[in-house]
Amino acid sequence: MKTALLPDGLIRTLTGQALAFLVALSLGAVIILLIDENPVTVFTTLMRGAFGDAEKIAGTLLQTTPILICGIAACIGLRGGMFNVGIEGQLFLGGFAAAWVGFAFALPPVLHVLVAIACAVLAGAAWVAIPAFFRVRYGTNEVVSTILANYIATLLTSYFTIFLFKRPGGWSETPPILPSAYLPELFSFSRLNIGLLIGLFLAIATAAFFRWASTGYAVTMVGSAPKFAEYGGINVRKVGFGVLLASGAVGGLAGGIETLGVHHRFMEGFAPGFGFDGLIAALLANGSPIGTIITALFFGALRAGSLLLEVDTTASREIITVIQALIILAVSADLMMRRRGDRTGERRWKF
Amino acid sequence: MTLAVDLKGITKRFGAFTANAGIDLAVRQGEIHAIIGENGAGKTTLMNVLFGLLQPDEGTIALNGKAMAIDSPAVAIDEGLGMVHQHFKLVPSLTVAENIFLGMEIRRRGLIDRAAQVERTRALSQKFGLKVDAEERVAGLSVGIEQRIEILKVLARNARTIILDEPTAVLTPQESRDLFQTLRSFVDDGMTVIFISHHLEEVMAVSDTITVLRDGRVVATRPKQELSKRELVRLMVGRDVSFDRRPREVAQGKAVLEVQDLWARDDRRLPALKSASFSVRAGEIVGIAGVAGNGQTELAEVLSGLREASHGQAKLHGKELVGRAPAEIRALGLAHVPGDRLARGVDRNASLSTNILMGRQDKAPFAKHGVINWTVVQDEMRALIKRFDIRARGPKDVARSLSGGNIQKVVLAREFTAGGDMLLIDQPSRGVDIGAQEAIHDEIMRQRAEGRAILLISTQLDELKALADRIIVMFEGRIMGIVEGNAMDEDAIGLMMAGVDPADVKEHE
Repeated sequence: MKTALLPDGLIRTLTGQALAFLVALSLGAVIILLIDENPVTVFTTLMRGAFGDAEKIAGTLLQTTPILICGIAACIGLRGGMFNVGIEGQLFLGGFAAAWVGFAFALPPVLHVLVAIACAVLAGAAWVAIPAFFRVRYGTNEVVSTILANYIATLLTSYFTIFLFKRPGGWSETPPILPSAYLPELFSFSRLNIGLLIGLFLAIATAAFFRWASTGYAVTMVGSAPKFAEYGGINVRKVGFGVLLASGAVGGLAGGIETLGVHHRFMEGFAPGFGFDGLIAALLANGSPIGTIITALFFGALRAGSLLLEVDTTASREIITVIQALIILAVSADLMMRRRGDRTGERRWKF
Repeated sequence: MTLAVDLKGITKRFGAFTANAGIDLAVRQGEIHAIIGENGAGKTTLMNVLFGLLQPDEGTIALNGKAMAIDSPAVAIDEGLGMVHQHFKLVPSLTVAENIFLGMEIRRRGLIDRAAQVERTRALSQKFGLKVDAEERVAGLSVGIEQRIEILKVLARNARTIILDEPTAVLTPQESRDLFQTLRSFVDDGMTVIFISHHLEEVMAVSDTITVLRDGRVVATRPKQELSKRELVRLMVGRDVSFDRRPREVAQGKAVLEVQDLWARDDRRLPALKSASFSVRAGEIVGIAGVAGNGQTELAEVLSGLREASHGQAKLHGKELVGRAPAEIRALGLAHVPGDRLARGVDRNASLSTNILMGRQDKAPFAKHGVINWTVVQDEMRALIKRFDIRARGPKDVARSLSGGNIQKVVLAREFTAGGDMLLIDQPSRGVDIGAQEAIHDEIMRQRAEGRAILLISTQLDELKALADRIIVMFEGRIMGIVEGNAMDEDAIGLMMAGVDPADVKEHE
């Protein structure tokens, strides 16, 4: 029983996603009603907070940047069939490594940034190398090991910050980095920096890599049909290891850009949840780097909008976490339902 | 005599596709009625309509002379209908008796009465001559026994008319014969059997009446005596198809593949291939016969580098294959059509072009400097669609939208054009229509004529008979004997497939 799937399927995907989105928003509205707020006010405040004026838009993009880069890190993993849940930890270590290069060494302007970024990338890759090794050598589930690695990474950076490199007197943060290691800012009115452009470039480059590179093809095949890939002569273990390493490297990059571009120092707990948001953004975009640009922007807007929400309404900013969760729930339910229908085909009607 | 099943004008559409078009089917009580047709002819749809799993768009159903609407399997079961599905639905961790009474447990004071279930199972088993151990766990039982349990399940629900969907697809010849005997005893008891198949021999062997479906229509319903195998094929396919041995020149090439004392273990780490030695010459087809699971898969996997050999040698053009990675072996000139084609042979969710690229994603002209040229890949796929007569709309079709036979042709197209001069073909026509099978055989013979060395693994003796120059028979991982294709003695091969040396039998006679 053959079915014409493609154009039909795309329409179904889009309407399905839109429906899921609407369901999530209306559920969100119900919860907002429960806390005695007006959903319309809350949503418009969120929108104003995210896109109200140039400054607000820049704020949204500033929040989007780390989510986007973390999302790309997740996309790389997902394509190769690896679920890197440890992006958060790679981000922290990458952030710390970049900051360390930033304050501990005096280098000429451009070089300083490059070295700091390179160290961030290396730190991320090195951190994921441990779970990656156990995954390809002994088949350890990478989800578990990367989650656990997150705790070690965040606590390790806290230890470095508090006990080894603490700025005398102040908060638990490292000394500020030298201005030569600052990422160039894009506008005078915001801390928005070229990190966003790096993220966008990376998204397009990753998409192109998977579309046109021979290696990208091998990675995609290992992810979608590992037995087929093995049969076709692709070294599944090597690719799996490489994929995790690349994913971790990009995770480290996200951290480096965040410290060099925004905070100009490493602070304990400096980037809460960006790694996880990125992972979710990538999942919602079904592993597509280009799609992740949009989902990351959406999450960035929610984060940025929530700041105004707290000022202008009685709703707590945590409400955006609730809305975010509802959207994830609705979209993944839609995905699951469609997948199930496709897989069983005609037999859908059976039991 | 009343009709056990009387379908009139059954039409079932899926969107624009008509799976059943005005089908009439009359099954008399006490007969074995075979329904035969190619994949997609509408057999399974028809049976699902009969069993209440699908609702017909038009037409009427009468069971045992009573017109009725069957809107769920429960109605069908109440009316004495039972269905044995192609894929068994047993719970491995439960015992035979527990499986049989799953969903209709015998209860006493609200608790399951295990003793009564076991007793009933034994009674059923004895009554119908289906030997099972009621208290054994299903996990680890052979498929033949599992099928017996499925049949007992149906009998325990008091079925008088039993539908079997492709029942022999998973059985050994011996198990099939036992099954046919059981079915015979059912009809002797006055029960009715509807038997779905696309396997000609067994339909001819077991049925009383045969209904042939093609493209969703009934093309003939006739008593078996009035049909020959050749006619049956013509009815099924709509044209003449030959199963005769293919004419050929005798192979004279030099040995391409030489296997010497090769051993390997299966996934459970038990020896699965034991001391295999043979060779394949250029321009020769060497067939490997055997009941599925007697080491053939392991042999293919070892030769293609997917499984480690525990001992021995395999040389391709004098170069050792053992210990090499699949990519290196491919580079040495071995192309492999895997037996498990949906898991190994394709990515079902990817386009045909993506599938055809495997193994050549970094080779010119498909890629230069690590960058894939998709235009070239798609042109190649278009050419292959034409050359191998693949029924697809174009290179962007998703593999899973194709029928089994066409997916197989995609795999063959990729492997036959990979440039290797050693072809390892595992189950070329498993699940493939007769028409497509003929085309695949044509292509294999063409490869032979071009001087390729071919190792052909098949569980279908007919196929080996038509194609192979020599046939190796395997049993429990050992080579039982090698038979010349020209003077093939089917009985001898059958005995060897069961692990008996024909020479021993002759001595006893």
